[in-house]
Amino acid sequence: MTQPIELEVKNLDFFYNGNVHALKGISLPIQKNAVTALIGPSGCGKTTLLRCFNRMHDLYPNHRYGGEIIFEGRNILADNVDLINLRSRIGMVFQKPTPFPMSIAENIAYGLRLKGIRSKSELVDRIERALKHAALWDEVRDKLNASAYELSGGQQQRLVIARALAVEPDILLFDEPTSALDPISTAKIEELVVTLKKYVTIIIVTHNMQQAARVSDMTGFMYMGELIEYGTTEKIFTAPEKKQTDDYITGRFG
Amino acid sequence: MARKLEHDLSDLKDRVLRMGSLVEDAIRKSIKALVERDRALALTVIDGDHVINTYDVEIEEECIRLLAIWQPTGSNLRFITTAIKIITDLERMGDLAVDICERTIELMEEPQLKPYIDIPRMAEASQKMLKDSLDAFVSRDPESAMKVCEADDFVDNLNQQIFNELLVYMLQDPRNISRAVRLTYVAKYLERIGDHATNIAEMVVYMVKGKVIRHMACEMREPEKNDI
Repeated sequence: MTQPIELEVKNLDFFYNGNVHALKGISLPIQKNAVTALIGPSGCGKTTLLRCFNRMHDLYPNHRYGGEIIFEGRNILADNVDLINLRSRIGMVFQKPTPFPMSIAENIAYGLRLKGIRSKSELVDRIERALKHAALWDEVRDKLNASAYELSGGQQQRLVIARALAVEPDILLFDEPTSALDPISTAKIEELVVTLKKYVTIIIVTHNMQQAARVSDMTGFMYMGELIEYGTTEKIFTAPEKKQTDDYITGRFG
Repeated sequence: MARKLEHDLSDLKDRVLRMGSLVEDAIRKSIKALVERDRALALTVIDGDHVINTYDVEIEEECIRLLAIWQPTGSNLRFITTAIKIITDLERMGDLAVDICERTIELMEEPQLKPYIDIPRMAEASQKMLKDSLDAFVSRDPESAMKVCEADDFVDNLNQQIFNELLVYMLQDPRNISRAVRLTYVAKYLERIGDHATNIAEMVVYMVKGKVIRHMACEMREPEKNDI
């Protein structure tokens, strides 16, 4: 593969509570400025894997990583990694939209202020840019001071994306971002994901195979904590190499 | 996302038309080579067939990709499955043009048996059927498509007529047999070209109306005004 790699997962293991072996020797490259989808039946470990990329598991005690995830030449699973910085460079969007209990503008300003940006004009500028990148600007430009809770589910999700984009991440992680949304909002988010890959590398976990087929360039199929197959989305969905992959995408199980 | 799908479908249509264009050209040249006894022209048609074959493979791959990625339904699904079938007919027509050229080269080893009158008439009719079926595909016009089906009888009748005439030549003098048989083949190939054009036209009716008219006799087909 001649595509540049943003992240390299090398023999990754993960144990919940010290001994539940949830990820087993996962190795895969994540291409820069591409959308990589992780698919597989419930419990296969795709969300567990996603949460390794921004070390979300560190928020809970007794979990253990094995192996490496290399980002910019360094293993982000190492002890001395600055997690705040890591999480601004590798952002995350969850299934349920998670706006802060503040105004639309403040939601976005929050992360910027944490990064040390105080100048009002710069904040205003970056808020507008983030909202434009998230395809939300036109809908909220006249009510930036309204509460984020006034927005619909789909709009809240785009606000969350704008918030993540504002701090200029290298990578965005999407954990089933449209599961809680109606079809029209889902289509808008999918279109957004495909547009965003010009600026950020995207990894998306989805249980909706058709969504993975529509939005992603590369797809990884996981089962019982293992990466069964990884390849171009076109190949995975037209002629996968492993029977298990074919069984899953044809709906014979999972 | 719907826009991307529309864009991909439009691309697919263009590719099918380009393939159709190559096939029309191959047939035209093959008859010209026959009538003008032009060996070099016949060879260019034979050499050019691999390009048509490549289109067949690549367009099919694209259709499968579109089915996997978009899981289309309704008119989009029918369009893609129609494209898969049309390219098969087009590829066969390309092969038939090659066959005509091979017979042409063989025929050139002897003097021309007789003036070619009916074969060019048949060729013109088959070529028009192909052109009209592709036009119907582009304009999504089931009425024009049905007219192509009706034109097949004329081509079939000419084939019969040519055969009868050549049979007389064969009975008159055994030295005519080799050329007469080869010309019978050429007429057969043109008749098959007409059949393939009919197939394309029938698929166009299915694509637009969702109605299968393949394998139905012409008189049983009811023209309908509604479009899906």
